[in-house]
Amino acid sequence: MNAPARPSGAGETGGTVLRILRVAAPLALIAALAVVPLVDFGANSAKVLFLTFLWTTTGVAWNILGGFTGQPSFGFAVFYGLGAYTTALGINGGLSPYLTFPLAAVVAALASLAIGLPTFRLRGPYFAIATIGVSEAVRVIMTNLQFTGGASGYRIVESIPFRQADHYYSGLALVVVAVAVSMLVRRSRFGLALRAIRDDQEAASDSGVNPFTAKLAAHAVAAALTGAAGGVYARYAAFISPDGVFAFQRSVAILLMPIIGGVGTIWGPVVGGGIYGVVEEELTARFPEFHLLLYGALVILIILFEPGGVMGLLARARRLFSRRKDASWQPS
Amino acid sequence: MATLLSVHNLTKYFSGLAALDGVSFDIREGEIVGLIGPNGAGKTTLFSIIAGSQAPTSGKITYEGRDITGIKSFRAVHAGIARTHQITRPFRSMTVRENVEVGLQFGRRHHSASLGKEAMEILELVDLHALAAMPAVTLSVGDLKRLELARTLAARPRLLLCDEVCSGLTESEMQSILGLLRRIQSLGTTIIYVEHNLPAILSTCHHVIVLNFGRKLAEGPPEQMRNDPAVIEAYIGKKTEA
Repeated sequence: MNAPARPSGAGETGGTVLRILRVAAPLALIAALAVVPLVDFGANSAKVLFLTFLWTTTGVAWNILGGFTGQPSFGFAVFYGLGAYTTALGINGGLSPYLTFPLAAVVAALASLAIGLPTFRLRGPYFAIATIGVSEAVRVIMTNLQFTGGASGYRIVESIPFRQADHYYSGLALVVVAVAVSMLVRRSRFGLALRAIRDDQEAASDSGVNPFTAKLAAHAVAAALTGAAGGVYARYAAFISPDGVFAFQRSVAILLMPIIGGVGTIWGPVVGGGIYGVVEEELTARFPEFHLLLYGALVILIILFEPGGVMGLLARARRLFSRRKDASWQPS
Repeated sequence: MATLLSVHNLTKYFSGLAALDGVSFDIREGEIVGLIGPNGAGKTTLFSIIAGSQAPTSGKITYEGRDITGIKSFRAVHAGIARTHQITRPFRSMTVRENVEVGLQFGRRHHSASLGKEAMEILELVDLHALAAMPAVTLSVGDLKRLELARTLAARPRLLLCDEVCSGLTESEMQSILGLLRRIQSLGTTIIYVEHNLPAILSTCHHVIVLNFGRKLAEGPPEQMRNDPAVIEAYIGKKTEA
């Protein structure tokens, strides 16, 4: 039988440093982002960061189902939109905004069950196609629903005056929760089941995993986070319409981020969300129609040359680096 | 010995074609039962139906006296029936040990706390413990067969369905797998063993069931099956008088 291929012991201290960095870097990032509103470096930058938090949250959420579980969905705008409308109705109904966010999560999670029950009987591309259909259907229904204003949209009137920092911290808190949930899922028994399903659904079932309920649960967790992001967005935007929050483009944007950053990893969607959130603003401003084409080209390039996204590139660079180091350590 | 599994009049049609046609037999607790037959005889289909991967067209399966016909495969595992696949299906993103942990975590209704230790014990049983930390995709064919067995064993099955665990192996690898099956049986697991390789079956099994064209051709002790004219005909062909 072959011995383990990798020589160990070469990087003991390097490993410890890496482990400390792995905990310290995210904490430092959170701390830095938390002081941003205090420094007041411009309303527009704060707005871009806030929207980036929301984008990242949806990307991290999508990744739990599309990445960890291997069930790519093209219908996450449904959860974003339902979350947005839940918060909108809640605030106008007199609820505290902070109460409407968890409510938005619950509504989105319930919707995910309604969508998942029939569509998770389908597999692979058929599931992805079904999610497009469901998402378009919900958009059309919302466009014709009278009590939310139909196609002309819905205005949110809050009694508290607008404060940028409130929104900013809501977004930051949400993205931190999303990443924490993603980490917990990844390391849990539940996460092991999701990985088994992604690798081989039948073998997973033959090992005692119930694929149907595990996928439903992953869908619900992802939908809840996405719904909360929609809620936080609605409160900020103060006006939402079906063509905005339920747009198919939004569903595509949500899955773009994990693909750019690295599908199925913890930090990939965060990196992808960061890139997308910042670049998106610039691109839409400069090329209002053209920017989607650029993303399309980017995705093709990623799938062709580095399906692991940015995280895949980093891993490749690390391997290259450590191979060189190992070579110099060899006694021959 | 008590009957553990009872298959009654099992039939499976694939768009008009009978893969299984009224197959019935009993499996007694504690035996290694060989299931043999030429290609396309219905062996793997029979396994898939017992393990819940497919539903039969008609017929009945009882296990521990309970009707389990058409049960879902993860429920079959929880009930104590686990299968290996002819073409191994490792979880490709996982290490050898994580593969076994899936079986440990989900294969039984009550999962234990000392997972890591148990995983290593099972890997030691199949002689894969030295490779525990390796990615499953790096294993050789023979080691993948062991991993497939290890993952199934992690579910602590009462009835183990082994689908051609020896195909594609060298003679010495095969002997060591057969030894392993005997050990698993001696630890109290009943085994149904599908195999193409007749010497492997005849040297390992207590009882042999022969399938041909979806029907049960014969059943009995291995020595008797070796000399059964119908079995010889199915495998080699009919003797013609010149």
